[in-house]
Amino acid sequence: MTGETGTELRASDATLIARLVERDESALAALYDRYAGMLSSVLNRILRDTQAAEEILQDIFYQLWRTAAQFDPARGSLPGWLLVIARNRAISRLRRHNPASGEELLENTVVLPTNLESTIAQRQLIGKVKGALDSLPKEQRAAIELAYFEGLTHSEIAARTGDPLGTVKTRLRSALETLKRNFKP
Amino acid sequence: MSNEHPTRPEDFDLYALGAFDGDEKVAFETHLASCASCQSKLGEAQGRIAALALSAPSVLPAPGVKERLMRQVAATSPRASGAWVQPEVERAEGVLARWWGLLLPVASAFALATLLLWLHNDQLERRIAELRGTVNEQQSKLVQARELADLMSARDTVVVSLAVQKNQPEGTARVIYNSRRGLLVYNGHLPPVAADKSYQLWLVPASGAPISAGVFNPVTDDTNSIVAKVPPGTAAKAFAVTLEPAGGKPAPTGPMILVGPVS
Repeated sequence: MTGETGTELRASDATLIARLVERDESALAALYDRYAGMLSSVLNRILRDTQAAEEILQDIFYQLWRTAAQFDPARGSLPGWLLVIARNRAISRLRRHNPASGEELLENTVVLPTNLESTIAQRQLIGKVKGALDSLPKEQRAAIELAYFEGLTHSEIAARTGDPLGTVKTRLRSALETLKRNFKP
Repeated sequence: MSNEHPTRPEDFDLYALGAFDGDEKVAFETHLASCASCQSKLGEAQGRIAALALSAPSVLPAPGVKERLMRQVAATSPRASGAWVQPEVERAEGVLARWWGLLLPVASAFALATLLLWLHNDQLERRIAELRGTVNEQQSKLVQARELADLMSARDTVVVSLAVQKNQPEGTARVIYNSRRGLLVYNGHLPPVAADKSYQLWLVPASGAPISAGVFNPVTDDTNSIVAKVPPGTAAKAFAVTLEPAGGKPAPTGPMILVGPVS
């Protein structure tokens, strides 16, 4: 984030994407500076392996470079799309399998609760997310983290924790309702 | 569910979270494939779920990642690859135009030959693109290998042995560090830890707060290697490995497992 120049800081994601389509390498560098830290954090949290996280990070931005023309900023948020791709790739690496076609996100229709183009907006959302997770009962938070950071399904969480499947489902639903309320603008 | 909208609003968040499995997942996806309204709701749910990523502890990538990315991009950009291919095509077209004016049958033969050459050229271009990707990957590895060779041979490189602390699990490690280059290599043996924990390597500078040099958790065996860059010119007083929450922390909080002073 610190590497962005003043001009690049002011450029919107849509502008930088348009420049990527024109093969402007400085636009890729600006988007990397804007979002690499955020992606690196989640990749490291899921994989707990710095080298694997960096390989996937480079691969995601290279994919963005190659397929920028297919990204429509009007349909969805770039950081949202990047975060979903990062999580999918990391979980696939964790489980040592290649994502099936349905698991790789092809459409950029992810709508984040807020625009993350500025550092301040990123910090505000980080605070909001951490606050929302902190407000959850311990068991609900654990269930959410097992699903999000380890890619476990309802049944797999029940098997991991030894809790009844119905209990796991209830915990996840309650947690998601709370998070949804907290994420409302 | 396949013919009806999901009845519970949180179904979209549960699907985006990846919590569905079995029949539940199949039914949701079957309905989703033909319902634009639900696809839109899923986009919003995916955004809410994606935001959970922001609860991860901050871990900045090493500067080398951006350098490798930009080298990879430069090696495959049209400006790099098109310069020598395009003039050949243009020259072939110019020759074809001149022959066409002289003799039609010969021109036809040239047209056919040009078409075949173009097809062959297209195959070659694709092969070249593949090879360029491989070369780029190899170049990245070569750069890293050279950096490591330089590190090992530099006179001002220090080798620090890290010793296990009292009441901690068995383990050993070694750090090779060159402060002028800001480059270090860690190689060690530590037992795996629980899924919610990670080991974190720290450079303890002569002055100032410890600097994180990498996070790891042995999964398949007990060996771990890290190549990390830190700000050049950082004088190290010691290196240490602590046990931290998964993903690491900006500053050490957990018990110290290994420590090695720089003599």
